[in-house]
Amino acid sequence: MTLTDPVNSAKNDPAHAGKIKLVDHVNAINWNKIQDDKDLEVWNRLVNNFWLPEKVPLSNDIQSWNTLTPEEQQLTMRVFTGLTLLDTIQGTVGAVSLIPDSLTPHEEAVYTNIAFMESVHAKSYSSIFSTLCSTKEIDDAFRWSVENENLQKKASIVMEYYRGDSPLKRKVASTLLESFLFYSGFYLPMYWSSRAKLTNTADLIRLIIRDEAVHGYYIGYKFQRGLELVSEAEREDIKDYTFSLLYELYDNEVQYTQDLYDGVGLTEDVKKFLHYNANKALMNLGYEPMFPKSVTDVNPAILSALSPNADENHDFFSGSGSSYVIGKAVNTEDEDWDF
Amino acid sequence: MDYHSLNAMLNLYGPNGEIQFEKDREAAREYFLQHVNQNTVFFHSLKERLDYLVEKEYYEQAVLDEYSFEFIQKLNDFAYSKKFRFETFLGAFKYYTSYTLKTFDGKRYLERFEDRVVMTALGLARGDEQLALDLVEEIIAGRFQPATPTFLNTGKAQRGELVSCFLLRIEDNMESIARGINSALQLSKRGGGVALLLSNIRESGAPIKQIENQSSGIIPVMKLLEDSFSYANQLGARQGAGAVYLSAHHPDIMRFLDTKRENADEKIRIKTLSLGVVVPDITFELAKNNEDMYLFSPYDVEKVYGKPFGDVPLTENYRDMVNDARIKKTKINAREFFQTLAEIQFESGYPYIVFEDTVNAANPIKGRINMSNLCSEILQVNTPTTYHEDLSYNVIGKDISCNLGSLNIALTMDSPDFGKTVETAIRGLTSVSNQSHITSVRSIEDGNDKSHAIGLGQMNLHGYLARERVFYGSEEGVDFTNIYFYTVLFHALRASNTIAIERGEVFEGFADSKYASGEFFDKYTEQAWVPATEKVAGMFADSGVHIPTQDDWRELKASIQEHGIYNQNLQAVPPTGSISYINNSTASIHPIASKIEIRKEGKLGRVYYPAAFMTNDNLEYYQDAYEIGYEKVIDTYAAATQHVDQGLSLTLFFKDTATTRDINKAQIYAWKKGIKTIYYIRLRQMALEGTELDMCVSCTL
Repeated sequence: MTLTDPVNSAKNDPAHAGKIKLVDHVNAINWNKIQDDKDLEVWNRLVNNFWLPEKVPLSNDIQSWNTLTPEEQQLTMRVFTGLTLLDTIQGTVGAVSLIPDSLTPHEEAVYTNIAFMESVHAKSYSSIFSTLCSTKEIDDAFRWSVENENLQKKASIVMEYYRGDSPLKRKVASTLLESFLFYSGFYLPMYWSSRAKLTNTADLIRLIIRDEAVHGYYIGYKFQRGLELVSEAEREDIKDYTFSLLYELYDNEVQYTQDLYDGVGLTEDVKKFLHYNANKALMNLGYEPMFPKSVTDVNPAILSALSPNADENHDFFSGSGSSYVIGKAVNTEDEDWDF
Repeated sequence: MDYHSLNAMLNLYGPNGEIQFEKDREAAREYFLQHVNQNTVFFHSLKERLDYLVEKEYYEQAVLDEYSFEFIQKLNDFAYSKKFRFETFLGAFKYYTSYTLKTFDGKRYLERFEDRVVMTALGLARGDEQLALDLVEEIIAGRFQPATPTFLNTGKAQRGELVSCFLLRIEDNMESIARGINSALQLSKRGGGVALLLSNIRESGAPIKQIENQSSGIIPVMKLLEDSFSYANQLGARQGAGAVYLSAHHPDIMRFLDTKRENADEKIRIKTLSLGVVVPDITFELAKNNEDMYLFSPYDVEKVYGKPFGDVPLTENYRDMVNDARIKKTKINAREFFQTLAEIQFESGYPYIVFEDTVNAANPIKGRINMSNLCSEILQVNTPTTYHEDLSYNVIGKDISCNLGSLNIALTMDSPDFGKTVETAIRGLTSVSNQSHITSVRSIEDGNDKSHAIGLGQMNLHGYLARERVFYGSEEGVDFTNIYFYTVLFHALRASNTIAIERGEVFEGFADSKYASGEFFDKYTEQAWVPATEKVAGMFADSGVHIPTQDDWRELKASIQEHGIYNQNLQAVPPTGSISYINNSTASIHPIASKIEIRKEGKLGRVYYPAAFMTNDNLEYYQDAYEIGYEKVIDTYAAATQHVDQGLSLTLFFKDTATTRDINKAQIYAWKKGIKTIYYIRLRQMALEGTELDMCVSCTL
């Protein structure tokens, strides 16, 4: 990619090189001494949820992919390149930038896990592409992602805040990214799967949603703990900041949604979904919802598909499902073998 | 609102915290108004319809030629007079998406549910008008539901086979491996799931032509099979699917399990092939003593014992084999083996488990059972096939096929004539066996011709128990299961005996079976089987279902010893995915997985399904499998298992707080209780507190 690329330009631009600072000193993390139980709980959850895109039989979606119109295919690819960009930001900059602000050493470890999984997510989209599309189509979609003004603006806004010097503000940006900005993209695979299209791709996306739900929740939680440590005035300031950032992102997100979804007539429905998730992001940060119920009545088929629980009863012969986790190995004892 | 959204509202609580069942019924109604009715081809009369469908090669002329038009008209009117309605959106959606006859471009429907039932009955009855009437009556009433391949295909001119399920041996030579792959292609093209036995194949590093370190073992064979299955599917109607079984004491067992690891290398990762492990009693004993378990080279065992590894009973020969210097062996710790099994089950749900010695002890047929099938409910004997160098057959052995169909337990208990319902089902299934000729795989064709094996299954146990206000897995629940399966067995044997008398023909090998010797009947003639609880005695009395007495059994035993039975195998309880949705049942004899089940599959997408007979007033009887726990599920299955000649697909359900030790405990408990096979392990991970979706029915504990 030769055009403006906010992720790489941030890394390469010497003016910004010093802004993302590393931690000053490192102590060995003692997992036997936990200050905040949430760290261990989330760490365990994330480790259990580890997955790689190779486990999902995406090639079973090829037939289904071919039933989409060229416009629908293009839309789908654009949505996924947009998501790739966000996951790249979160993996290489976002989660990493949170590490120096950690309140506990275990929190640092959790962020490294988050960062890694974000990179897995970014790579997953490439798995989808390489399974379903030709190289030329893939290149076109990536070019679009670089040229689309609203997508680039979205990336720039978030990148700008990650470079800022307030730990709490960085967490706000991160939570809004995890809990709000991804969802204009997530809408589409959920929509397809409710219509029995690209169901394996949807499985993979649901694995990503499963992760992002935990990420957004955790970063929001840490934000609230951080907020408890600052003055009332500062808290007011952060709140104003959060809502103004959300407005800015929301305005841009509406434009972006229109770019993507006007062609297939889904914009109104996606907007409701944005409202719903904006409220969810605010909830994660401990704030009251911004949008009234009347504009958050998301299509029930999408809402039901979102459930981060892994409890669906899938047909093993056509997919791998999104319910398996890495188990806890415990030795059996003599009493277990009493027969 | 569109029907998908209405259906999804089932999974979202209503304003007063109630489950919105009516939204699902609205969804079903809207589905017909918005979609089905507009896309169904209209005919002025039955005559016009049949003529058109035959002329355009949608229907098989030969099926209709067996009957007069007047009779077909009568049967058709009879079916429509029953006023069938789908109870749920998923039932209707599944039927129209996957079963009904469509125009060749796939855009318009040519059948309604009644038409499919009539065509199925006509095809199975083969000119027998009474049987055709009986089948329509049983299927339309929902008491009997043929398995997917039968219900999907019967009477259609462009179709796959009517049989569901195939099991093939592979021997330790290249001809047999190549035949196995070819057969896998042929059989999945024709519509079934195929399971293959890998136990006999020599391990990696085994000698070829006496030169050491030559064989690549079983993993490359698995890869070849996996690719074969993804290539062949039944006219796109059903995805090709396969399973492979391996003995726990095969040297490649750990590699076999590692193919399902989350971080397995792409070269060895197995994504879509199902795995099963055959575990003999000795493995449990070794684990109990915390000993090592020896793995034996199939190549050497076959040389020493003169028969393939899979056919050698391990438990009785284990100590000899350990001490036999001619057999190359390696060892692993037995408990570690079980723990690895559980780890892989956590990560992937696989492998299935066959308790080899339990299975063989319960088998009334002469021969050895060494594997199961894709759903782990088929358990039959087999024999090897040998080939000439040009790949032609030397000795055609016996491989296994099985066609299935299930009774809806609730509606069968409501049946005006319980025995007749069972008999009609047995006759329908037998007809499928008689009509099946898999010429592309001779060992299957011969096996079917000799055995006429069928598998009568059951579903809606949980739905029935809840309707009768009995808790699943309670004393009464287990008591009912026992007496119900006991009664079904009696009528199944009676029906097969009647067919043998009518045709003057029994399955090959009857004379060597425990039916002929009478040994099979001992447990029924020497012991009275009666309900242990008043509640269950009342349930049978109120339904007017007679529970067979010891005298009934003595009479049946005499008739069977004199005339034989027609079918080598009679019962097998499959997991019943799709057909239980059409039939408005809870799946198999499992507890429900969720009050509102989220069903996801390739052709449907994500759809929501309410448990049968559930209302906002009887929710307490619909505890899900995760709440019920494995003991009660195993107790229920154990009660049924003792009356079923083949197997029952038994899935175990765990919360994600479980450990590998819990899974191991469940395996041990199942083995102790006389369970024959374990199917999937399912895990449910609840959303982290704070990330869950509010208002969602399937999210609540």
